[in-house]
Amino acid sequence: MTANMELALPARAENIAIVRHALGALGDACGVGEPALSDIRLAVTEACTNVVIHAYAADQEGPLEVSATVAGEKLTVIVKDHGPGITPRPDSPGLGLGLPLIASLADAVSLGHDEQGRTAVRMDFSIARGGEGGHGGEGGGEGGGGEPAGAAL
Amino acid sequence: MSAEAADAPHAPAKTNSALLRIAGGPLVAPVLTRVVAMMLARADCPVDRLDDAMLICDALSAHAPALAADGNLAVTILTDGGGMTLRIGALRPGGGERLRRASTLPGVGSVLESIADELRVEASAEDGEELILDLHFAAAEGDRQPAGSPESR
Repeated sequence: MTANMELALPARAENIAIVRHALGALGDACGVGEPALSDIRLAVTEACTNVVIHAYAADQEGPLEVSATVAGEKLTVIVKDHGPGITPRPDSPGLGLGLPLIASLADAVSLGHDEQGRTAVRMDFSIARGGEGGHGGEGGGEGGGGEPAGAAL
Repeated sequence: MSAEAADAPHAPAKTNSALLRIAGGPLVAPVLTRVVAMMLARADCPVDRLDDAMLICDALSAHAPALAADGNLAVTILTDGGGMTLRIGALRPGGGERLRRASTLPGVGSVLESIADELRVEASAEDGEELILDLHFAAAEGDRQPAGSPESR
């Protein structure tokens, strides 16, 4: 099964909930198990939060763009913005845990720019259809190494 | 609460927009309904009009992808404190009228026409058409006053 969606919203905190709901609907429709879906929502929430907090100046509003593609047992989510890119920020209001958390929840993460120059965070997840999976549950895996996120049974 | 405080950046904005593109198939109905429902909830839409909007989403999900120029459902959703506008398209030439007729139920007529306050078809920039639906509502009475305002105490 291949399925995909794209969602573009103003980069505001309240719109992250809309992204979460859209991903929840996608996960339900594709039969993604709840533990894996929780991990996916958490990772994508972190990526979207980074856009809201870091991508644009406080007096500017820009877009938050999310695309999700399901192909077989793999879900790829790409979060994009039109900001200057991911750079060190000494005055960051956050704890700096967002990207490490994303890396621990996703099977693969890549940071960069798309062909239009937009900042892009790409996350790949293995999805366990209709049952267990995810790192958050008891016995969850460590991620990385190419092992499916939903390998814990 | 002062007027400045009521307009503080953390206050949810009443005007919002989203561009949603979903591949035709099983994702259309669940993703569209959840995104629209979330945006209407943010716009303080009363529950009776929320229910109406869900009927519109069901009708669009059932018929719009087959009439879309590229097989994907593309919807622009605009909300403010007084209503929602949905722009569906690009549809194939004649798709707007066919979509309106496709939502006809025996004894009810066109669901889209019955529920929407305004329904029109406009040419799109891609040699196709857009179906535009306006849904008006008065924001839920209990949510009109900002929390902590003198009137709400």
